[in-house]
Amino acid sequence: MNFSRRIAWVFWRNMVSYKRFVLTTFLASLIQPLFYLVTFGIGMGAYLGQFGGKPYLYFLVPGVLTTSVMMSSSFECMYGTFVKMIHEKLYDSLIATPVSAEDAVAGDIAWGAFRGLVSGSLMMIVAIFMGILPVSLLSVLLLVLLMVFVGVLFGSLAMIVTSFAPNFDFFNYYSELVITPMLFFSGVFFPLDKFPGWMKALAQFMPLTHAVAVARAIFNGDYSRGLLLNFLVIFILGGAAFYFGVRRMKKRLIK
Amino acid sequence: MKTIISARSLCKKYGAFVAVDGISFDIEEGECFGFLGPNGAGKTSTVRMIHCVSPLTSGTLTVQGLAAHVDNRAVKQQTGVIPQEITLDNDLTVRENLQVHAHFFAIPRREARRRIDGLLQFVELEKRRDSKIDQLSTGMKRRLLIARALLNQPRILIADEPTTGLDPQARHMIWQRLRQLKDQGATLILTTQYMEEAQQLCDRIVIMHQGRILKEGAPARLIAAEIGREVTEIRAAADQDETLIAELGPLARGHERAGDTLYFYCDDGRPLMKKVLELDLPATVHRPASLEDVFLKLTGRSLVE
Repeated sequence: MNFSRRIAWVFWRNMVSYKRFVLTTFLASLIQPLFYLVTFGIGMGAYLGQFGGKPYLYFLVPGVLTTSVMMSSSFECMYGTFVKMIHEKLYDSLIATPVSAEDAVAGDIAWGAFRGLVSGSLMMIVAIFMGILPVSLLSVLLLVLLMVFVGVLFGSLAMIVTSFAPNFDFFNYYSELVITPMLFFSGVFFPLDKFPGWMKALAQFMPLTHAVAVARAIFNGDYSRGLLLNFLVIFILGGAAFYFGVRRMKKRLIK
Repeated sequence: MKTIISARSLCKKYGAFVAVDGISFDIEEGECFGFLGPNGAGKTSTVRMIHCVSPLTSGTLTVQGLAAHVDNRAVKQQTGVIPQEITLDNDLTVRENLQVHAHFFAIPRREARRRIDGLLQFVELEKRRDSKIDQLSTGMKRRLLIARALLNQPRILIADEPTTGLDPQARHMIWQRLRQLKDQGATLILTTQYMEEAQQLCDRIVIMHQGRILKEGAPARLIAAEIGREVTEIRAAADQDETLIAELGPLARGHERAGDTLYFYCDDGRPLMKKVLELDLPATVHRPASLEDVFLKLTGRSLVE
């Protein structure tokens, strides 16, 4: 692994290009999560009453927020990176400079994580305007930190997928077979306790389950010892995915 | 003259495919060195190893005394690359393309700004500094690639088929710029399939074919040694070969048939032309020998796939 501070300049390159379509991405990353908040949160939430002593939205918001981090960072490191690698040949010009393949890929994972952070933060702002506030200022800061970890985790996982992808259609497998199931089976919309045992066990293998559990605890100031395990899963899986994502991509870029 | 790049038994394999098959060469500081060859000859694979983006399979390769390998940032820092494909950043403007690139070479901001202004002038793009890349013509894009390759003031400049797909004006302008750079002392490495380009720019060339070097030398010397000074092309059916070669063969250094044409190579074409007039062969072209003849003679006049 050959990393340098040039990772920051790869990140910077994305920032320079981002300023041209930042508003479009705001719209794109807000719409879907907003639908979830309105339909599930307000529409269905009205029938649910209290949820662990608080309105349902306090349960839903951290879940949707984490989901939008996952979506943004995953898609950036799949479609965004693929376009840069295959269509724009951007990686070729990067690695002809003192930027190493590792720098280039790490810079793009960092960028994916940042995109996730932006989406998640927008969600949090919307929730605050709806009157659904995180329990304290500290939780806001912790949530931001968590979003960065979650962004690196899902950005790296997506990078592994990208390293194998022969074309765009390949990404459908990942989003339909991995991302979508996670959305419904990771406890984003309802607690997992009423699931049969095997489904509960399955959920434990989904990284989003752990991310949502930590986000929800931080949002509501509801800490328990089990969270440590959830966080460790995010941290270790994130580190491993980052390592393999960079390694796999290097193999694809350097021939 | 100092050797700046040196390769010994250099090999590159992609799986079972051998792209570069044990070549050795030395490139002197300040010269323009050309790799010529048909598609798939191994030219690009060779230069990719020189600028450290592709690992060697075997053999040795040193650039300014440093071993070339993928993670060698020191070599990359001193090398400029004009790529074969247009790898500009379409999301950025002309100037932003250069600014972002300058950061990768750790050029201080103020110095970068100074160099960018100078380079945009050098490639005559100063009026397009705020254009998006898709608003540029292919010639402009190629010029911008040159400017980008010069940002780090490289001692070694690699131009991988720099004029592919350009109109004659744009091509000549790029040649002028490359010659100017050479005059300023840069070592230039050129890959090309255009013989005219090699003749215009290169001090020394190697002709590559199927991963091997077939011949090496100065273009003029190679022409003189392989072909002679003049070439006579006669369009004639193959069944006439026997008579034509019996009549004209003794007056030439050599002959070759390719498709519908019989080629005679000679140092002084006058006796041969006299004979051609006697025989009354109208479909005949008499012309000076060029690098293209050397190239075609060595790599075969039939299509190489």
